[in-house]
Amino acid sequence: MSLIKELFGQSPFGPLVEHTKKVHECVKLVEPLSQALMKGDDEEIHRLQDRVSKLEYEADVIKHEIREQLPRRYFLPVGRDELENFLRCQDKIADSVQDFAVVLFIRKTRVHPELKDLFLEFVEQVLKVSNTLNEAAVELQNLAETAFGGAEAASVLDQISGLGEQEWNADRMQRRLSRKIYSLEHELDPVTILFYDKMLHTLSRVANEAENTGDLLRAMILKG
Amino acid sequence: MGCLTIILVTALLGLYMAWNIGANDVANSMGCAVGSKSISIKWAVIAAGICEFAGSVLVGAHVTDTVRKGIVDPTMIASLPGLGPGEAPALLLIGMAASLLAAAVWLNVATWMGMPVSTSHSIVGAVAGYGIIAAGWNAVHWGRMGQIVASWFLSPLAGGVLGFLLFMMISRLILRRRRPVPAAVSITPFVVFFMMVVVTLAIVYKGLKHLTGERAEWITGNGAFLVAAVVGLLSALVARLLIRRALRGKENLPLPQQLELVERVFAPLVVVTSCAVAFSHGANDVANAVGPLAAIVDIASTCTVKMRVYVPVWVLVLGGCGIVAGLATFGYRVMRTVGTKITQMTPSRGVAAAIAATITVLVCTRMKLPVSTTHTLVGAVLGIGLARGLAAVNRQVTRNIFGSWFITVPAAAILAMVFFLLGKVLLLEYVRQTLCQALPGAA
Repeated sequence: MSLIKELFGQSPFGPLVEHTKKVHECVKLVEPLSQALMKGDDEEIHRLQDRVSKLEYEADVIKHEIREQLPRRYFLPVGRDELENFLRCQDKIADSVQDFAVVLFIRKTRVHPELKDLFLEFVEQVLKVSNTLNEAAVELQNLAETAFGGAEAASVLDQISGLGEQEWNADRMQRRLSRKIYSLEHELDPVTILFYDKMLHTLSRVANEAENTGDLLRAMILKG
Repeated sequence: MGCLTIILVTALLGLYMAWNIGANDVANSMGCAVGSKSISIKWAVIAAGICEFAGSVLVGAHVTDTVRKGIVDPTMIASLPGLGPGEAPALLLIGMAASLLAAAVWLNVATWMGMPVSTSHSIVGAVAGYGIIAAGWNAVHWGRMGQIVASWFLSPLAGGVLGFLLFMMISRLILRRRRPVPAAVSITPFVVFFMMVVVTLAIVYKGLKHLTGERAEWITGNGAFLVAAVVGLLSALVARLLIRRALRGKENLPLPQQLELVERVFAPLVVVTSCAVAFSHGANDVANAVGPLAAIVDIASTCTVKMRVYVPVWVLVLGGCGIVAGLATFGYRVMRTVGTKITQMTPSRGVAAAIAATITVLVCTRMKLPVSTTHTLVGAVLGIGLARGLAAVNRQVTRNIFGSWFITVPAAAILAMVFFLLGKVLLLEYVRQTLCQALPGAA
């Protein structure tokens, strides 16, 4: 029986990057989903919803694999709690995208013409936040190679530092869009307003969880 | 004729121990190179065989002496009151054979129970065990024994500290730079210099000294440092030329590609340092197999108990052959599993771990302390883990190491006691007579 052989566990960072990529694939479908919503293309929404749901499931599978291969006895170069929270938080991004797709799927909601521009602007900002996170998180493998320090760590931390402001902007756009929705409340039926609210809520959660995931990534880099 | 039988039987036992070392432990010493895919399994086996053999034959005598006379004082047994003619050498011979048998049996039992054991710890425990039974508590050099046990704690610790520092340096100076490729071009020659000084010192200062004796004083004395410095300098210059050529024009590639190129530069280094680990492993661990054998051969051929014994080269060669045989029969398979399990070990990590282990084991060999190469390597790997260099390291292994000390030493000691008592009852008269017949003058 060889001690050296037993000494090494599986690296979680490769699979973590897989998870990041899978979640991002999911997020990328928010754009076509929104376009389909604008056009009222229900078939397209149906198709995309299936796709989102499948990707979310695949991300879940990766999440469980990572958890299974990291028993307590392994000593990691990052805080274990931070790593597990990072994974959970990143997974919630995919969950939120799925929730958004479901909201579009379960009811044929139409977007009021006066809301379209603000809505697309908000979507774009949400995607900006999750893009920033994605670009930082896919660097995890390289971070592990460079032992979480030096130029690589600094550049990733720099990327993450933009997340807060971007998310704050998304929040502002969401508030503006909400005010616009309620200013049209006499023209809209209550259920439509309810569904607008659900859409906004799920989309803002995408941005929110992306920001939180970024915070945890920073904690992983800083804490050994 | 009788003497020959005794030597033959113990030689077979020694060969079996050496075979065990080759089959199980050698894969660990080449682990860094195999895990980082810097060398194919086939070549790793061949390189390990050559280096282990060279290490055991050239440097193996140092630790062999410790196992033979450092733990139990042979003269204490010779001066036991009430011994008949020829009984003292016979007792010593039976004791050493019992130790060898005990260590071999324990190794098998432990392997069967799935416990990681060190041959060093088994043999030390076994020799101490027989010493206590044969000549009482005082026959064991407790001061020396304390040093040996301390070295078991200190060698993984020293390996860990060195591994941590070396990897920190490599990562600070190369991997963590904005552009690792130019950093590698300027820093790696220094790493090569340091590495080659250590490796050369290992071979020249300790190895050639044993081989050439007094004849080449200028090279094995203080001159060794000079020789090492020259070899280091030359290798560094060659390395600089080669690395510059290999990395020219790659300075502005994206970071992941630069990191990969840098790791590829480290690949030959990890092969060289792993060979050094194999060399020092052979130097240190061959004693576990042939230490008792050396004692027995001397007793059987002179029928006296002496402190100063020249360890015959053929004994070391036998140990070396046993290790190589183990490597050729089982080591191949173990090497493959180790290689596939430790893929996290990239060349940059491997170099740090292997240099740390080489230095530690060589210093211990020089101080004639039988340490476990594997444990030292484990220490070095944990050190790199602490420097955030590895993705997932099993910290439970440290518990296994402690466990292996606490169980192996007493278990091997008790087995040796039992075998010694059995041998004394059954074989003492036969051995005494054989010895005396062979050399009537000594009786």
